[in-house]
Amino acid sequence: MSIFIDQKTKVIIQGITGQEGSYWTKHMKEMGTKIVAGVTPGKEGQQVEGIPVFHSLRRAAERFDFDAALLFVPPRFTKDAVWEALDAGIKKIVTVADGIPLHDAIQIRQAAKAAGALVIGGNTSGVISPGKAMMGFFPYWLERVYKPGRIGVMTRSGSLTNEVTAMVVKAGLGISTLIGIGGDPVPGTRFAEMLPYYQRDQETEAVVIIGELGGTMEEEVAGAIKAQIYNKPLVAFLAGRTAPPGQRMGHAGAIITGGKGSVEDKIIALTEAGALVAERPSEVGRLLHQLL
Amino acid sequence: MKLFEYQAKEVFTGYQIPTPVGMVIENRAELAAVLPKIGFPCVLKAQVLRGGRGKAGLIQFASSAAEATKKVEDLLVSPDNVRKILVEQAVQIERELYLAVTVDPFKARVILIACSEGGVDIETLAADAPEKIIKEEVDLNIGLMPFQARDLAYRLGLQGAVAKQAAAIITGLYQIFCQYDAELVEINPLFYTKDDTLVAGDGKLIIDGNSSFRQTGYKKTREYYVSDAEYEAAQAGIPYIQFTGDIGLMCAGAGLTTTVYDLINYQGGTVANYLEFGGPNYQKAVKAMELCLKSPSKVILIVTFGTIARADVMAEGVVKAIRKLKPDRPIVTCIRGTNEDQALKILQEEGLECLFDTEEAVRKAVELVARRDYG
Repeated sequence: MSIFIDQKTKVIIQGITGQEGSYWTKHMKEMGTKIVAGVTPGKEGQQVEGIPVFHSLRRAAERFDFDAALLFVPPRFTKDAVWEALDAGIKKIVTVADGIPLHDAIQIRQAAKAAGALVIGGNTSGVISPGKAMMGFFPYWLERVYKPGRIGVMTRSGSLTNEVTAMVVKAGLGISTLIGIGGDPVPGTRFAEMLPYYQRDQETEAVVIIGELGGTMEEEVAGAIKAQIYNKPLVAFLAGRTAPPGQRMGHAGAIITGGKGSVEDKIIALTEAGALVAERPSEVGRLLHQLL
Repeated sequence: MKLFEYQAKEVFTGYQIPTPVGMVIENRAELAAVLPKIGFPCVLKAQVLRGGRGKAGLIQFASSAAEATKKVEDLLVSPDNVRKILVEQAVQIERELYLAVTVDPFKARVILIACSEGGVDIETLAADAPEKIIKEEVDLNIGLMPFQARDLAYRLGLQGAVAKQAAAIITGLYQIFCQYDAELVEINPLFYTKDDTLVAGDGKLIIDGNSSFRQTGYKKTREYYVSDAEYEAAQAGIPYIQFTGDIGLMCAGAGLTTTVYDLINYQGGTVANYLEFGGPNYQKAVKAMELCLKSPSKVILIVTFGTIARADVMAEGVVKAIRKLKPDRPIVTCIRGTNEDQALKILQEEGLECLFDTEEAVRKAVELVARRDYG
């Protein structure tokens, strides 16, 4: 088994009829993802890649069971769509939208916690267990990146994921489950909150985190290792080591503010906890072999 | 979106937060018109978005019309591109406090931050004397309870009427935070005047950029940007940061672009500009290169590893941009992702330097700069 998603996970897609939604539905299905239904208000009766579309999640729930919801919904409607999924009792939600309002993100994270659900994202490519299934948009056909294996990956950056994961594969390893935590300042789920899942997963031998400047998520990972919540090997690559303070480097969350969020601080915390930090993407494979 | 101080203070006024008597001017004539209403001594505050205005000499005091005029003229020609100056009545200050409302991403709560020692760099204070920082968490769904605002005022050591005023200011700040979809609302310093009242000495309001569809009150005009190139890039929806080094970046994705920025620094090179043309921008190669050519770089480095973006489409875009713009400097490419073999072919046919490994591409770019400098 893998974490979060495999070929048995029943997925519903909110926003399935949109351009992105329908395009990636095709790819997810081709890869082997079990997509049971889709939702787009006003489009009930239509089909996307042979998958039935419903006006609402409640109406779809009368006909189907699902384990997870994937949102291809614009950022301004994301809060509503997350609430709709939570209302249906779904405990695994992935929202890929880039541009979710900050105050909405706070409420989403809070509501997910209260419901005991995991919301992954926004501003992410989603979640993939290579060779099994995916929720989101990964070019899973790139064999030099998305090769099945025993390394878990968590990332704050889509573009860097390909770069770093290719190095894992180049080192003769592969990926168990890759979770795109996302590049927003308030992601629904944080790195350290996924570590217990990787800890329990028998298919994961080690985890690579792809972090960057800003926030405290990498420090929380160090805390989880110290607290023995996670004790498998962990390698980190962190972008923005030489970034000037106060400068937002692309992602809204990637900024050193209030004296917090520098990559140097993150390296110190992770190293003290026993993790290894790669200075360059090309070192990730070597460091993994060192620990395995 | 960070507002100018005068705009933040305009907002404050609508929420019962007192500010010094002040007016915004843009030139000498306007200064002459407002001085009689403000009186002396007065404070001249350059309206720029950078921090550390005091140390940079962008806040000046004047005790006569002649002095004010001279100082305004100096400010208007300073290298910080000062367009507006806030002229305020000087306040008789007893001491300075600090108040802010922001977000705690881990707890998913709004957090009020207060300190009885304001005016200083709050980050430094938080590091040196964290016990002096007072915090209060608020549930965004429930809102700020009046007792929380009162309690914060008492914890600041305030008593009587001024404690009541502080609670009202805290409530106002919280309301602004909600109404404006703020990332941060801050008063630093909050003046405690000699006649025991509170006045906002400065004002900072940062509106969440992702909320711009429902926060339509402010247009991001040229004055919010440091350079023409940054403004033009923002208009085109292309993330762009101006630096002063040699290598112009044209990369895809925030994480990868930031990594390339690091790798260049490790390699002893310097970056001329940060630019992303990945994700939704991957078909904007022409515009991206046009922007890149505006910074005085010696080499352009293109690194991508697309998720949505197809490598062949990006390569075609790059070739199109080169044919149209005929760049006067060498270009190093490293374009990977879906259809990368095809991309390689397209780029090679154009006679471009094609590499397949990010670190190798960075080394090549740094080497080309050295060759241009010494070769």
